[in-house]
Amino acid sequence: MEILPERVSWFIVGPLIGVLVAGLFAIANRPLGASGSYVQTIAFVRGDKRTQTWRVWYFVGILLGALLASILQGKLELRAGYESMIDLFSLPLTVVVLAIGGVVMGYGARMSGGCTSGHGLCGTSARSMTGFAATATFMSVAIAVTLLLNWMTGGRL
Amino acid sequence: MNLVGLAFGCAFGFLIALGGLNDYEVIHNMLLLEDFQPYLIMGSAVAVAAPVLWVLERKHWATPYGGELELARSRPQRHHLVGAAIFGTGWAVAGTCPAPALAMGASGAWLGLVVVGGLFAGLFARDSVEASSADATHADLDMGQVATAT
Repeated sequence: MEILPERVSWFIVGPLIGVLVAGLFAIANRPLGASGSYVQTIAFVRGDKRTQTWRVWYFVGILLGALLASILQGKLELRAGYESMIDLFSLPLTVVVLAIGGVVMGYGARMSGGCTSGHGLCGTSARSMTGFAATATFMSVAIAVTLLLNWMTGGRL
Repeated sequence: MNLVGLAFGCAFGFLIALGGLNDYEVIHNMLLLEDFQPYLIMGSAVAVAAPVLWVLERKHWATPYGGELELARSRPQRHHLVGAAIFGTGWAVAGTCPAPALAMGASGAWLGLVVVGGLFAGLFARDSVEASSADATHADLDMGQVATAT
């Protein structure tokens, strides 16, 4: 099925995400943060009685929503992803690099109290100084590290 | 409330995939400053949400599930910025972040799930560190702590 295009323009997707951010605050007084849903999913798996179960459902929802979109985009297909990285590093090394990248990201998000969605979308929308400062920090570091990786690999990454 | 969580998750995952944000190349090119669409998506989302929240806050909006709207604001502390710098490094390496990594896996790109596994490990590791240090309170953006109930 290719009912939806592979990429819909920013001026449709962006404002709709804005509606979600405002909507969850308006309905439940809560930020639409993704890393918090990981933390609650860990709590759920460990059987912690204080688990905010709605965040576990939120986690599941992200998977289901993306699955539906991928089907409608005709993009659903079992593949590795990261073709350019596999080209450079081989598949086993790519797995290691990505796992480390994930660990570093998770550690930082938990320390910072939010990620791209929690700080970058919700914190900034709520005009929190922490949201602005954290977003400016992770954006500039991510751009600098990406440009450095690009330079170190002679433009292959 | 669980249904609200599921609905918002579905909509968010759907939009992430629709914007192509679950694609490594898209985020990598964004961070290489070659593709500005992701920045425009984030910027326009904030441009829509911020004024709505401003108005709702002024009206002392009563949320159906969470009492009067209270937008958590705080002054940035060291751990926010150090954590953000660490997060940014991982983001650059993986070319995806927590929600898009899930959406990547859901689109069939299984390496996205390797990132998701790493995220779980990293979040859990930091959570354990915080559980053993009494002075770390990161409740400001409602991460929903495991160690200390919010």
